[in-house]
Amino acid sequence: MNCSDWEQEITAESESVALEEHLRTCGHCRDFAGEVERNRAALQAVEIHPTAFDAVRLRVLNEIRAKKQRGAWWAWSAVAAAACFAILCAAVVFQSWKNPAPPKPLIATKNPPKIERTPAPGPPVMRAHHRVHHHFGPVTASAGPAHNPEPLVVKMLTNDPDVIIIWLVDQKGDSL
Amino acid sequence: MADFRLTADDAGQPAGLIARAKLGDLDAFDQIMRLHEKQVLMTGLRLLGNMEDAQDAAQETFLRLYKSLNRLPDVLEMKSWLYRVTVNICNDVHRQRGRRKAEPLTGPEPVSSHPDPEKAWSEVERERLVEMALQTLPEKERAAVVLRDVQGLSTREVAEILGSSEVTVRSQISVARGKLKKFTDRYLRKRL
Repeated sequence: MNCSDWEQEITAESESVALEEHLRTCGHCRDFAGEVERNRAALQAVEIHPTAFDAVRLRVLNEIRAKKQRGAWWAWSAVAAAACFAILCAAVVFQSWKNPAPPKPLIATKNPPKIERTPAPGPPVMRAHHRVHHHFGPVTASAGPAHNPEPLVVKMLTNDPDVIIIWLVDQKGDSL
Repeated sequence: MADFRLTADDAGQPAGLIARAKLGDLDAFDQIMRLHEKQVLMTGLRLLGNMEDAQDAAQETFLRLYKSLNRLPDVLEMKSWLYRVTVNICNDVHRQRGRRKAEPLTGPEPVSSHPDPEKAWSEVERERLVEMALQTLPEKERAAVVLRDVQGLSTREVAEILGSSEVTVRSQISVARGKLKKFTDRYLRKRL
């Protein structure tokens, strides 16, 4: 091992007996070890004035207090916003209760006509010894509501209970 | 578990102090800061090389501690946690400002009151040289040598804080000491 190798042993804080023996005999490595030790002592020679500590603690505590205050401000803002929203909702509900919305128009019919279903027209019956009668169109009852239907009466209620709109329409939906 | 972890008794911070701080008691947190301020500020000063940055780093470290009080898994791990956070913050500062080039040495004035002014001047000069040399080291080596030689932690403790193996840390410390030695030699030879 040369001195360069021993220097690595020195910086690595080797506690080997061989290193101790080498240091006894080698002035260069002794100087090297002394320099390393002096550098370490220089590293440890830190004197910090107490005011530096006080300043750090003061800054930390002030920062924490400021954050707490900001947090409290946000909390109060949130509470105030929630209160405003609740008041607004209450006002809307109160207003709608005081002035109810107009009722939906009711559509009513008077004497709704009965719709009689006619049987589906079957094929014409053909008999050999009779004349064939051709019917065009379905065969329905000769008399009944379908031929003379009663009009539908549509009654529309308005906001004003004294005003009722009555609308007469026929079965086809045309106004009369 | 590392040997250097504080117990509640030797730290002088009974569980009640921590519990009060968790509840927002700033006096209790102030007491906790007093217990650890030297450790944090001195580490920051050595890692960053100037008091202003070191105070900023210490402030940030304690603010993070305050935020993390409820999340710390074990109050007894506070010391190693503080070392880890301080080192990380200082590394961030270093990365932000870039590696500071070693300024040309303007020697401090000799200390006339010292029995041997020449020796006193040399010691002050060496302190400054070592401080400058530290700033030229890679961050891992710088943190390892500061925790080992300034804070006096064992290699195992340093490895645990830095998240490295003991072998790696031992190598980093050895290399860092060699670099410091070369740096101081270069300036001291120039002076001679």
